[in-house]
Amino acid sequence: MTKADIIESVYEKVGFSKKEAAEIVEMVFDTIKETLEHSEKIKISGFGNFIVRDKKSRVGRNPQTGEEIEISARRVLTFRPSQVLKNALNASAEAAEEAKRAAGQSPPSA
Amino acid sequence: MLKSDLINILVVKRNVTQKQAESTIETIFDSMKDALCRGENIEIRGLGAFHVKHYEGYQGRNPKTGEVIPVKPKRGILFRTGKELRDRVNQSEEPGGTSSTGA
Repeated sequence: MTKADIIESVYEKVGFSKKEAAEIVEMVFDTIKETLEHSEKIKISGFGNFIVRDKKSRVGRNPQTGEEIEISARRVLTFRPSQVLKNALNASAEAAEEAKRAAGQSPPSA
Repeated sequence: MLKSDLINILVVKRNVTQKQAESTIETIFDSMKDALCRGENIEIRGLGAFHVKHYEGYQGRNPKTGEVIPVKPKRGILFRTGKELRDRVNQSEEPGGTSSTGA
C-alpha cells in the first residue's frame, strides 16, 4: 500500500474530488512530519503512537572489521502499534490460518 | 498531537466540515490498519514504511513451574523511518526549544 491507495480510499469514502483528496492526505502526512520534527509525539487511538526518542552515544563495532566506532547521540522516531492494532493483526492472521487449514482438509463443497 | 488535533487542523486549514475531517482521518488510519491486517506492507514516501513481520510459534516454558507451553505464531509491525524524516527528526530541537544553549 502506498499513499495513492490511501488517497483512493479517502476519495471513495468521503466524497472529495480526486485532487482534493490528494491534497488533504498530503497535508495530513505533512502535519504529522512537522509535528514529529519538533519532537512532539503523535497518538492515534486504535492505530499507534509515534514517539521521538533521544538516544545516548554508544560504542558500536563495524561487523566486518571488528573495528570500534562511536555511534553519536541522536534523536530517532519510533512507532508503537496500539493494542487494538496488534490484536486485529493477530485475529486476522488466525482466521487466515484456519481458513487455510479448513481448505486443506476438505475442499470447499459449497 | 492527537487524532482530534489532526481533525481540527483540516477543518481550519482546508475549509471542510467537521464530519468530513473526521471521516478523512478515520479513513486514512483504517485503510492502513486494514492493509496491515491483510499482511500488506505500507510505504509512505517521506514518512516511512510499515512491515508486517511473522513470528513462528515455539515451545515456551513457564519459568516458575518449568511447564511447557506452546506459543502460537504471531504477527507484529516493524516501522522504519524514511530517510528524509529521519534526518529532520535528528536535527530537531527539544520540545519547547530547550536544546539551544543559553537564553
